[in-house]
Amino acid sequence: MEQYRTLLILATLAYLGGLFHAGTALTKRTWHDSRWHALPMLIGFCLTTAFLYLRGQAVGQCPMKSVSDILVFISWSVILLYFLVGGAYRVSLLGLFTAPLVAGMQILAVFLPGAFPDYPLKGKIIPLVELHAAVALIAYAAFALSCITGIMYLLQERLLKKHRIGGLFYQLPPIQDLAKSVRRLSLLGLILLSAALAMSFALKQPVSNPKVIFAWAVWLLYAVMGFVMWRHVLSPRQTAWLAVIGFVVPFVSLWLVTKA
Amino acid sequence: MSQHLICLGLNYRTTPVEVRERIAFAESKAAEAALEIRALPGFDETVVLSTCNRVEIYASHNLEEGRAGHSKMRDYIATRFALADSEVESLVFYQLSDAETARHLFRVVSGLDSMVLGETEIFGQVKQSYKVALDSGTTGRTLNKLFQQAFAVGKRVRNETAIQRGSTSVGSVAVDLAEKVHDLKECRVMLIGAGDMSRTCAQSLLSRGAKSIIVSNRSHDRAVELAAEMKGKALKFDEWEGAMHEVDVIISSTSAPHFVIKPEQIRQVQKKRRWEPLLVIDIAVPRDVDPAVNQIEGVYLYDIDALQAIADDSRRERERQLIHCEGIIEQQLNKYGFAEGDAFQSSIQRGPSQA
Repeated sequence: MEQYRTLLILATLAYLGGLFHAGTALTKRTWHDSRWHALPMLIGFCLTTAFLYLRGQAVGQCPMKSVSDILVFISWSVILLYFLVGGAYRVSLLGLFTAPLVAGMQILAVFLPGAFPDYPLKGKIIPLVELHAAVALIAYAAFALSCITGIMYLLQERLLKKHRIGGLFYQLPPIQDLAKSVRRLSLLGLILLSAALAMSFALKQPVSNPKVIFAWAVWLLYAVMGFVMWRHVLSPRQTAWLAVIGFVVPFVSLWLVTKA
Repeated sequence: MSQHLICLGLNYRTTPVEVRERIAFAESKAAEAALEIRALPGFDETVVLSTCNRVEIYASHNLEEGRAGHSKMRDYIATRFALADSEVESLVFYQLSDAETARHLFRVVSGLDSMVLGETEIFGQVKQSYKVALDSGTTGRTLNKLFQQAFAVGKRVRNETAIQRGSTSVGSVAVDLAEKVHDLKECRVMLIGAGDMSRTCAQSLLSRGAKSIIVSNRSHDRAVELAAEMKGKALKFDEWEGAMHEVDVIISSTSAPHFVIKPEQIRQVQKKRRWEPLLVIDIAVPRDVDPAVNQIEGVYLYDIDALQAIADDSRRERERQLIHCEGIIEQQLNKYGFAEGDAFQSSIQRGPSQA
C-alpha cells in the first residue's frame, strides 16, 4: 500500500477515535469542555496534511482532480475551518459532529473504485488554476460546516421544544450562537465561492462548461440562501434546514464536476 | 509521640441554623481563631472552615490520645462563644480522626456532604479557609498535604462524574435554559407579576449576568419597588404587552385565573423580533401562558411542572452518581495511605460525654 494511503487511514482512525471518545463521555455524562477533546482532530488533521503533501508529490500538482482527492481535500478544509470556527463561536462539541462527516468522506475516498489514480502529466502548473480550485473546495468545506452546525441547531431546538434537558443539551452551545454560526459559515462559503468564480474569469485556459454551470448553480443556491438569511425571511429553524439540505447540492455536484 | 489528624464539626444535618449561627466564625475572625486553636497545648496545625451550612475545625496534634484533641477543641468553642454548660451539652458535634477526617474532607470538597448534593460553591469556600490558615501560618506539612489532596480529589470527582451536572432548583433550571437560548450578557428579562418565585428566577438570571430587567405588576408600587431592588425598569400592567418584543426571557407569575399570554400576541412579537429565540417561563398556578405558545417558531415555553421535573431529574441523576463519587474517594484514600476507618455516620457523637 502506498505510504499516503496509510496516512489517510491513520487520519480516519484518529477522527473515529475522537468520535468514540466523545460519544462514550457523553453517554457516561462525563463530558467536560476541554481543549484535549480537539487532540484526535489535530492528529487527524496533521496526518491528512501529510497525506496531501505526499499525494501532491506523487501526482506532481495539487491533488484535486479525482473524486477521492477532492473528498480528502474537502475533509482537510473542514477540519481547518473547524479549528478556526470552533474556538471563535465556543462550539467545541462541533468536533463530535464534524468527525463522522470527515471520517465518512475519507473512508469513501479510500474505498472508491479506482481511488487516487495517477494524473495525466500536464505541462506548466498555472498558479491561478490551482488557487481557483483550492478556494472553491474550501468554500465547499464552509458549506459542509454550515450543514453540521445546522444539524446541531436542529438537535438543540428539538431538545428545548420537547423539554429533554439532559447530557447533550448541556454540552451544545446556545441556540442563538448556533443560528449565527449557520449564517456566518454559509456567508463565508458564499464569499469564497464568489472569489473562486471571479478567478475563473481571469483564466486563459477554458474551464469546461458543465463545471462552470455546476459551480454557478451552487453559487446561486447559496446566494439565494444568503439573501433569505439576511432579510430574515425564514426562521432560524428553516434556515438551519436549508443549510443541511442545501449541502447535498454541492456534495453531489462534486461527482458531476469531476466526471465533466 | 504520634501525630493525630482530627476534625470537630457540626453542620446543617446535626444542628439547626439558630445554633449554627451562634458559633459561626466571621470571615475576618477565622485567622485569629486558627491561631488560638494552634496555641492550644499539643496542637501543631489547624484550619477553620465556617460557612452557612457548617462549622468545622481541622487540626493535627500530638497528644497521647487522639480523642483528647476533640475535647480541647470543644472547650475552646465553649470559651470563645461563651456557651453555658447546658448549651455545650446540646451541641451535636461530629468527632473524626485520621482516615475519617480525610474521608470527610474529601466528601465536603466534592460537594457530597452539601445540602444541595454536588454544589460547587463549597470547593471555593474550603479553598478560601485553607488560604486564610496558610497565610496565618497555622498549617504545616500534615494539613498542607491533606488539603492539597482534598482539592485534587474534588477536581477528580467533578471531572469524572456528573455530580454537578444539571440544576436542582427551579431558579437555576430557569438560568440553565436561558443560557442555552441566549448569551446571558445580552439577555433582557421581563417579569410579569412579582411573586417570590419569579423574583428568585429573575435574581438568579441577574446574578449570572443578564443584561436588564423590566418588571410589570398589577400593583405598580410593588413593580417599582422590585425594579428598584433589581436595578431594572418598572412598567404599568397595561404596558407590558407593548414591550414584549424588547425582551428575550419572559417570566410570568400573575394570579390571573385565565391565560394572560396568548399565541396571537407571541406571534406578533416574534415577527417584530425577526424570529429571535424567546424563552417563556410560566410559574403561575393557574397557568398564565397558553401551552399553544410552545408551538410557535423560536418560542420555548416551560411551566412550573416542566421546570420542577427537570430539577427532579437532575437531583436523581446526582444521587445515581453518588456511588461513583464515593468509589473515587475510597480509591484516593487508599492511594494516599489512609487506612480504612469507621463510617462517617457512626462517628457522630453527642456533647462532651463522648470525649
